[in-house]
Amino acid sequence: MKALSDGQLLHFFKCLEKDWEVRLPVTLPDGTRTLGSLKDGPIALLGGSLPAKPTGAFFPQEEEIFRLSERELRLPLPPERPLFVAGFTSRDLASLLFIDRFFADDPKDDLYFRRRQSALVAAVTGWCGPGGSFIKMTSKGCDLELLRDERGWLLLSHSEAGRQATQELPEGDDPLRLERFVAASASQSNDDELLLSQAAELLRADLVPDSFWNEIGDRCILCTGCNLVCPTCTCFGIRDWRSASGVERIRMWDSCQLEGFMREAGGHNPLGSEALRSRRRIHHKLAADLMRWGEISCFLCGRCDATCPTGIGIVSVMKEMVARHGGPANQRSR
Amino acid sequence: MKRTLTVCPYCGTGCMLYLVSQGGRLVGVEPSSTHPVSRGSLCVKGWNAHAFVHHPDRLTSPLVREKGELRPATWDEAITVVVAGLKGVQDRHGSDALMFASSAKATNEENYLLMKLARRVFATNNIDHCARLCHSSTVTGLTDCFGSGAMTNSIACLDDTDLIFVIGSNTTEQHPLIGSRIMAAARRGARLIVADNRRIRLARHADLHLRHHNGSDVALLNSMMQVIISQGLTNLSFRERRTENYPLLAESVAEWTPERGAAVTGLTPGEIVDAARLFAGASSAMIIYAMGITQHSHGVDNVRCCANLALLTGNVGRNGAGVNPLRGQNNVQGGCDMGALPEYYSGYQSVGDPAIRQKFARYWGGSDLPATPGLPLTRAMDAALQGRIRGMFIMGENPLLSDPDQTHARLALEKLDFLVVQEIFLTETARLAHVVLPSACYAEKEGTFTSTERRVQLVRKVVEPPGEALADWQIISALARSAGCGGFSYDGPSEIMAEIAVLTPQYGGITYERLAPHGLQWPCSTPDDPGTPILHREQFTCGLGRFSPVTYRPPAELPDEEYPFVLTTGRTYCHWHTGTMTRRTHLLDREERAPFVEINPLDATRLGLREREPARVTSRRGSIIVAARISTIVPPGVLFIPFHFVEGAANLLTNNVLDPESSIPEFKICAVSVRREA
Amino acid sequence: MTTSPPSLYQPVPCDIVSVSDLTPDEKLFRVIRSDGAPLGHLPGQFLQISLPGWGEAPISVASSPTRGNSFELGVRRVGSLTSELHRRGAGKRIGIRGPFGRPFDLLFLGGQDLLLISGGCGLAPLRSLIQYCQDRAEEFGSVTILHGAKNPDHLLFKNEISSWESTARFACGLTVDDTAPGGCYDGNLGQVTSLIPPLQLDPLRTVAIIVGPPVMYRSVIHELERKGLHAGRIVVSLERQMQCGVGKCGHCSIEHLLCCKDGPVFLLSEIEHLRGAL
Repeated sequence: MKALSDGQLLHFFKCLEKDWEVRLPVTLPDGTRTLGSLKDGPIALLGGSLPAKPTGAFFPQEEEIFRLSERELRLPLPPERPLFVAGFTSRDLASLLFIDRFFADDPKDDLYFRRRQSALVAAVTGWCGPGGSFIKMTSKGCDLELLRDERGWLLLSHSEAGRQATQELPEGDDPLRLERFVAASASQSNDDELLLSQAAELLRADLVPDSFWNEIGDRCILCTGCNLVCPTCTCFGIRDWRSASGVERIRMWDSCQLEGFMREAGGHNPLGSEALRSRRRIHHKLAADLMRWGEISCFLCGRCDATCPTGIGIVSVMKEMVARHGGPANQRSR
Repeated sequence: MKRTLTVCPYCGTGCMLYLVSQGGRLVGVEPSSTHPVSRGSLCVKGWNAHAFVHHPDRLTSPLVREKGELRPATWDEAITVVVAGLKGVQDRHGSDALMFASSAKATNEENYLLMKLARRVFATNNIDHCARLCHSSTVTGLTDCFGSGAMTNSIACLDDTDLIFVIGSNTTEQHPLIGSRIMAAARRGARLIVADNRRIRLARHADLHLRHHNGSDVALLNSMMQVIISQGLTNLSFRERRTENYPLLAESVAEWTPERGAAVTGLTPGEIVDAARLFAGASSAMIIYAMGITQHSHGVDNVRCCANLALLTGNVGRNGAGVNPLRGQNNVQGGCDMGALPEYYSGYQSVGDPAIRQKFARYWGGSDLPATPGLPLTRAMDAALQGRIRGMFIMGENPLLSDPDQTHARLALEKLDFLVVQEIFLTETARLAHVVLPSACYAEKEGTFTSTERRVQLVRKVVEPPGEALADWQIISALARSAGCGGFSYDGPSEIMAEIAVLTPQYGGITYERLAPHGLQWPCSTPDDPGTPILHREQFTCGLGRFSPVTYRPPAELPDEEYPFVLTTGRTYCHWHTGTMTRRTHLLDREERAPFVEINPLDATRLGLREREPARVTSRRGSIIVAARISTIVPPGVLFIPFHFVEGAANLLTNNVLDPESSIPEFKICAVSVRREA
Repeated sequence: MTTSPPSLYQPVPCDIVSVSDLTPDEKLFRVIRSDGAPLGHLPGQFLQISLPGWGEAPISVASSPTRGNSFELGVRRVGSLTSELHRRGAGKRIGIRGPFGRPFDLLFLGGQDLLLISGGCGLAPLRSLIQYCQDRAEEFGSVTILHGAKNPDHLLFKNEISSWESTARFACGLTVDDTAPGGCYDGNLGQVTSLIPPLQLDPLRTVAIIVGPPVMYRSVIHELERKGLHAGRIVVSLERQMQCGVGKCGHCSIEHLLCCKDGPVFLLSEIEHLRGAL
């Protein structure tokens, strides 16, 4: 365990820049927080989860697949320096572990692991949520954990790479300090976890009528934001550009909320209605991924609820779903 | 990775976003969390705002026509050819044989400069831009009633209003973040009236959906006012304190009983009464409108009716109220503000006013400026056909696809002695040009855009323009210098803004320093003026609000036996206008790949037309083949075709009949026939 | 031997050996890997055809692995990629990724009577299996091929059908929705479903395989169920808009299944309860 002040932590990040491409929460000129580098703005470790998905560090909005020029095909190079990414909450890490599994599943997605392979991941937990609220400790999925309290920062290493990166830092000397985090983490409860399992059960039992999805579909303006900010959304589209100098093929974040997402060249569309697409967005996380991967792939990070301009992020939809269709009377009637 | 705060290049909502760039390339978008309009959200176009910028079709060098073909040229050559071409027309046929089309996609600074170029260098007031095609009726109509032609209130007023009356605006598709805010208002309990004969998304959330006949807005609004007056629902104190000309209005609407209104609109008298009572009963009510009101041969009258209704109920000059035209383009408000209009300098200062002319002439240097108002864009096309306009300079517009009656527009452009098009892509219009000048897009230059709520915001340069492309302001400056005219040397757009501020009262307090981070709402007349979220608070710009009575005129072309359907045109959610940018954006292009016609199932069944089958749609002016999209969004007897697609151009069909006052074309209604194409 | 490229998304170069017209909209491409290696596929699998500049599209392999190192693709012209492919002739280069997906379960099919039902270009993937059955006839029972097209011009593999018919224990039934006026077609008229009721089949040793346009499945399944075939003996191959072919892009999901990895060949019993599968 290491103990650092704000200034020492900043110094640590600066030192890391020698060997790593450091990305961490920063504040942009208008107050928007994002995953940036030290020169982009002041560090903003406080404030909880970032509006954009931190998993975007490994699966960015756009990335090159290859370039083809005069019969030579060039694959993108791995990053010059490995990535150091700080700013994951425990929920973000759960998301990261999920998509790590997803992209590693045979056949392994080399584009993702090109960035992910040697990256160092740091969680930010403790009293650093919005308004000083507590964010649960976590050791799963990160190399390092930065814990915030009123005295500053504790650093815990959860992997050998994390230990190596931090070995020069001053040791923390107060074991009681860490225990406060452990106790606070243990006492954290979250009503939304219950909601999640209730909603998943409703979907699994097929108790949510199509009329519900029609209503949700009516309220969706198809901005695609829910998918684009979701740390476990992995769908992508592929596009080619051809020019005199050759062809560039990239992949980009895609959205199952778009009508064209599944439409086939002949016109048939298995997701041919707004209701089906709204259902897919929620069902996929709560039921389909549970079937395929053994876990629900929504970790309640709250990003889709924050970005949705019409209030139909996944937590809002789950609340409505459970309130309207989750009553015991409903279940008995089946 | 670098993130740069800038303004979305699509609609007039004015969302700010961060462009994400790496190694000189745009790689993504993040919304601004703190911006008062975007608030951490974007629509699908905003989320994809980076995706067209590096498209290989971008123009990278000037093109000059030689032996019928466009070939690459140096800037020196191209500028020389352009200046010689324009001067040649001017020498042979006079200054007013030139027409300058500015662009609502370009910055304020660029619109201002092109207006200065036309007036100062080429001595003509023949300058206009595409506001002519979208909100010229707003400028005329609202100026008539309020003294100012802009949205009276702010988008944030939607959070506080008691009632929203949306008429002729498919807000969730065309101003998505305003549309979603309307939906949020409806969910918190605000009443929502939607008047639109298409069953648009907002209609699904409305307390009252009025599907009145296309082009019967005056009848609907006059009847609503008749009900309000006859049932004693007028806001008397407001009427007495703040307005004039009421007796004439009362007289003009007296005959518009709900029964008469119903006969013209196709609604029931009860629906009209309900709408009137709901509207007048609200403690605050916002009128929201867009092209459905303005794009008619009686567009100005439609606008006046909206203004009259607001005056009658006291819904102007306070929070949660107002007449709120939603400007279409990212900078169409700014294009108007900057005087890219035939009768105004920047700030709506009349070219007919000698004192104003003198002010501009003195500041710009040089001799007298032209006094006669110039030609509106839509009339310039006629003038070109008649040989009165011989040379045209078009910056960032694609009239071949966006003007009504495409055949007419093509003939007019082909007849020109000299056509210059300044563009980011080789559009259909640019293909006809004698010289094509490659310009920087929004992500490659500095400047400001003014959003629909009069919010002037900074546009920032993120990446370099492709090849030799230059910012529009740089090109215009070079043209002016090459024409031997001083006063066009600027270090950058902020210096142009400083000049704008001196000459334009509404922008008097605006500097680049003050615009960070999220802009200022004009009028902002002094360096310490915080800007004006709500207009006409204490008094109207013209003093008293002026009731402006309106006589109902039917649309110019109604269905008959030969052309039994009403065609209305517009846009889709995923595409922007002529598709120059969005059809080069993978996800947007994939979403809507091809032209289509919306047709009601009853009509489709009668015609034996099945989903996705080709349908031939014909008007007196042309004929196109598009895919049938069978949908109850349109009522029986009405067809809808978006105008984005060159391969099924709605504007081959539309009727080039203009509003007599604003010269806006009647895009929203013409008569067509439709049949299955074997 | 077959080597895999360094990236999952890197296409392997192939050369077009020959091209022939199947119908006015469909062509048959004979293709070989530029390194001459065998494709290594099994009947029912598909490739991502990769034309840099035009993108990629999933196309089923239409030939059997028993027929040499080159392979065939039956391609209908529907979008920009397939139109570009149609413009390319013998000697031109294309890219492929794959083979991908779950093939027909040849162990399960072994010893069974096969009823192969296709509509439109669905016959192309079945042809891979048909050729396999011709070449390994001893492994299967009888093979009945039913095929429907919109009109006689659009019947696929017309000149091979006679060779299939003359194979021992093979039988074919063809039908078209419409005939062109003045044409010389004198065969069956109607949907492919109309060919099922007259069949004599043993529901306990028959496996039916259906490949066709989305609208076809339900009606064919209905007819098969009337013949006593249960969902565990009905195999379907589904078409989706696969973009990666390797289970990552998400465009071909059917609830928790991925058509590109778990399919495109499914037992009806695996997917009949899933929303949007059929």
